[in-house]
Amino acid sequence: MSVVASVIFGSLALGASVVPPIVVLVLCIVAGVGTVMLLPGRKERSIRKIGGALLLVVFLVFVALLVRQEAMKGATQVYFWLFSGIAVMSAMRVISHEKPVYSALYFVLTVVATAGLFVLLWAEFVAAALILIYAGAILVTYVFVIMLAQQVERVGKVTVGAEYDRHSREPVLASAVGFVMMGLILFLIFDGSAATNLAGVKANVGVQGTTKQVGEYVFIRQTVSLEVAALVLTVAMIGAVIIARRQVPETRAVDPGRVAVQDDDPHNVPVYGTENPRAKAYPER
Amino acid sequence: MSDVVLQQYLAVGAILFVIGLIGFMTRRNLIVLFLSTEVMFQGVAINFVAFSRYYAGLDGQVFVIFLLVIAAAEASLALGLIVLLFRRRLTLDVDAWRELKG
Repeated sequence: MSVVASVIFGSLALGASVVPPIVVLVLCIVAGVGTVMLLPGRKERSIRKIGGALLLVVFLVFVALLVRQEAMKGATQVYFWLFSGIAVMSAMRVISHEKPVYSALYFVLTVVATAGLFVLLWAEFVAAALILIYAGAILVTYVFVIMLAQQVERVGKVTVGAEYDRHSREPVLASAVGFVMMGLILFLIFDGSAATNLAGVKANVGVQGTTKQVGEYVFIRQTVSLEVAALVLTVAMIGAVIIARRQVPETRAVDPGRVAVQDDDPHNVPVYGTENPRAKAYPER
Repeated sequence: MSDVVLQQYLAVGAILFVIGLIGFMTRRNLIVLFLSTEVMFQGVAINFVAFSRYYAGLDGQVFVIFLLVIAAAEASLALGLIVLLFRRRLTLDVDAWRELKG
C-alpha cells in the first residue's frame, strides 16, 4: 500500500500526468465494484444491470477525462474511441455472460474491434490475419466444442445455463486483484514523471504493415522463426488428433457393429471396410 | 488535427488484459476460461502493434503473427483436452477436477 500511496502523491506533486492518479484509483475501485455486481452469481438480475450501468459510467468518465486534454481531440480519435469502446464492453460481456455461446459471439466482436484498432495503427495485414484466424478459425472450433459439451438445465419453460455458468467463483477477490493491477498499470502509463515517459513518443511514419513489408520482413529476417512456427503447428495438429482419438470409459457413442478401440496402439485402430484390425488392406508388418 | 497517442493504446491493452484476467479467475466453465485467455491475448497484441507503430520496426507486428500461430495451436490442443475431460466427468465445471489441487 505504501508503494501505491507514494506513486499517487508523487505524481500528484509533480502534476505531470494526463489524468490525475487519484481519479484513476477511484475509477478503478468503482469499476471493481461494478464488476463484482455484473459477474454471474447468487443475486437478482437487477443488481447485474446496475453493475453494467456502473461500468459504463466509469468508462465514459475515463474517456471524458482523456478527451479533456487538447492532445486527444481529432478526427482519428473518433474511430479510436469507437473501436476501443466496443472492444472493452464486449470483453466485459465475454466474461460476464451466463451462456458460453454468447461469450464466444461477444469475443468475435472484441476481435473485430481489435482489428479496427490495428487498422488505425497501420497494420493492415495483421488486422486481416486476426479476423481470418480468430473470428474465422478459432471461434468456429470453440463453438463446435460448446455444442459438443454444453449442458443446459430447464427451469419451468425457460432454459438456463448449467450451475457452474450461473455462479462465479470468488468474484470479490478476483475483481480486487484485477483492478488493483489495472490501476497500477494505468498509473505507470499516464505518469509523466516515471522513468517510462511515454507522453512525447510520436508515431513513426516509416513503418507500414502492408503485406509487402511484413512479408519481406518475415521471409528475410525471421526465416527460422517462421519454420519453427510451422513445426509448432504440425506438432499441435498431430497432438490434437492423438488426444481426440483416445478412448474414454464413459463414452456413449459406441457402435456395436464396430471393433472398440482398446488403446493408443495404431495397429489396433479399425480400418474402414474391415472387421479385424490385423487384416488391413495394406499390412504394416 | 492530432493523432492518437501511444498511451491510449497501451491503456486499452491493459484494460483488455485485466478483464481477461478477472474472467480467468472467476469463471468456472472450462471453455469460458480459455475464452478469457484469448481476451488477454488481444490486450497483449494491441500493445505489440502499438509499440511497433510508435517505435520504428516491424518486430511487433511479426510477433503478433507468431502469437496467432501459438493461439491456434493452443486452441486446438486445449479444446481437444476439454472434450476429453468432459467425456470423463460429463461436466465442464473446473471444480470437478478439484483433487488436482493436491
